[in-house]
Amino acid sequence: MRPRTRFRTPLIIAATFLLVISLLSLSLKRSPVLKKVEAVMVSLTAPGLKGLYYVGSTLKGVWDRYFYLVGVQRENESLRRRLAESQQREVQYQETLQSLNRLEALLELKKQVALPVTGARVIAYDPSLWSRCALLDQGQDHGVKRGQPVLTAGGIMGRIVETYPHYSKVMLIVDRNSGADAMVERNRVRGVLQGKGGNRCSLDYVPKSADVQVGDLVLASGLGGVYPKGMIFGKVSQANKKTQGVFQDIEVTPAVDLSALEEVLVVKVVNMALTP
Amino acid sequence: MTVPLLLFSLVGLGLFYCQTLLLFPQIHLRLLGLLLFFVGLRPSFSLAFCLALILGVLQDSYATTPFGLHLGGALLVVGMARFCHRRLLLQKTGPQVIASLGVLTLQEIAFMVTLLLLGLQPFAFNDLLAFRGLELLATAALAPLMYALVQGLEKFLSRYGWRSSWAQE
Repeated sequence: MRPRTRFRTPLIIAATFLLVISLLSLSLKRSPVLKKVEAVMVSLTAPGLKGLYYVGSTLKGVWDRYFYLVGVQRENESLRRRLAESQQREVQYQETLQSLNRLEALLELKKQVALPVTGARVIAYDPSLWSRCALLDQGQDHGVKRGQPVLTAGGIMGRIVETYPHYSKVMLIVDRNSGADAMVERNRVRGVLQGKGGNRCSLDYVPKSADVQVGDLVLASGLGGVYPKGMIFGKVSQANKKTQGVFQDIEVTPAVDLSALEEVLVVKVVNMALTP
Repeated sequence: MTVPLLLFSLVGLGLFYCQTLLLFPQIHLRLLGLLLFFVGLRPSFSLAFCLALILGVLQDSYATTPFGLHLGGALLVVGMARFCHRRLLLQKTGPQVIASLGVLTLQEIAFMVTLLLLGLQPFAFNDLLAFRGLELLATAALAPLMYALVQGLEKFLSRYGWRSSWAQE
């Protein structure tokens, strides 16, 4: 028994190290086995997320619309109760109005894009800081495929990187693995929009001679065939020419808060060569 | 070991759901790392190892980082917990917080080194590093709560006769 226990710890460490290195290596080679493992894990756990999301929304709705009012009723006279009910209705109207505005904006976007699209809801975000992605409630069964761009009323959200039967994973434009050809709206200067984590991107490979100013809109150039031409990526929030080398240091803030999206549009075209 | 593994996996899944649905994007915490650390301090190594595999794969499945990064991080936490297991007295709040902070920091460094070796740039912005530092500090501050949670679960399991099977491993 003694030799067995003597070599147990180094053997476990070596085996673990080998396992992790093999997985990382397979992952970099985009192994289909790992994709299957990932798909199984997401398919097993995402329904729970979706269920809890809807349960939470329902409970919040019940709380907002009923229990809170019960508490108010106990404390106030009938007039106050009526007022609270009216206020609650107002909140509901406002909520409905906001929802309507969002959907109208999406509809408008759908017309602008002039490409086949499908609506989707964001049901979860990756909570870690190491990547920026989100999970949508539309998957292979709804015709969603890898590489399809995802848009919001305010601008581009990202592109589909994984699809599962009922869900799909979107890599946001701020993810470090995200890169896309982009241009500055004002003077058509082109560069590569690279995700930088957090809520920021950078516009790389823009020469120092180019005139880029804070506040300039950054659009998809349409080259590369991932995102439709003219869709907004974001605004230049910082432009620094005092750098080494021939390129400027340009920071871009996305047009929309990518951490708080609810409804999005998935463009059902992969590698679009057209420029609408 | 099946029942404790199932129970702790469900707790881990619950913490993951809580992070995703309730805390994100305002609050970032490493609750799964903390859970793994305190489970790793318990006598059963196989339980901690299997739990690290499950929670690591879970985190990797939801991230766009190379598959295996979070898994490696989770296994590292368990390894550190086994190292602390017989060397440090982690019964009081102070040592628990300090040990958790140390382990989470080591995990963070391991993440950065791995990403650097894979050709990905982990050092994007300095303020993100500061943000991560705050995340680690806030998570470490929750160490006593996580310790109590793991102990509570262990007591719950022992009430149903599972304790003996743990201790023998």
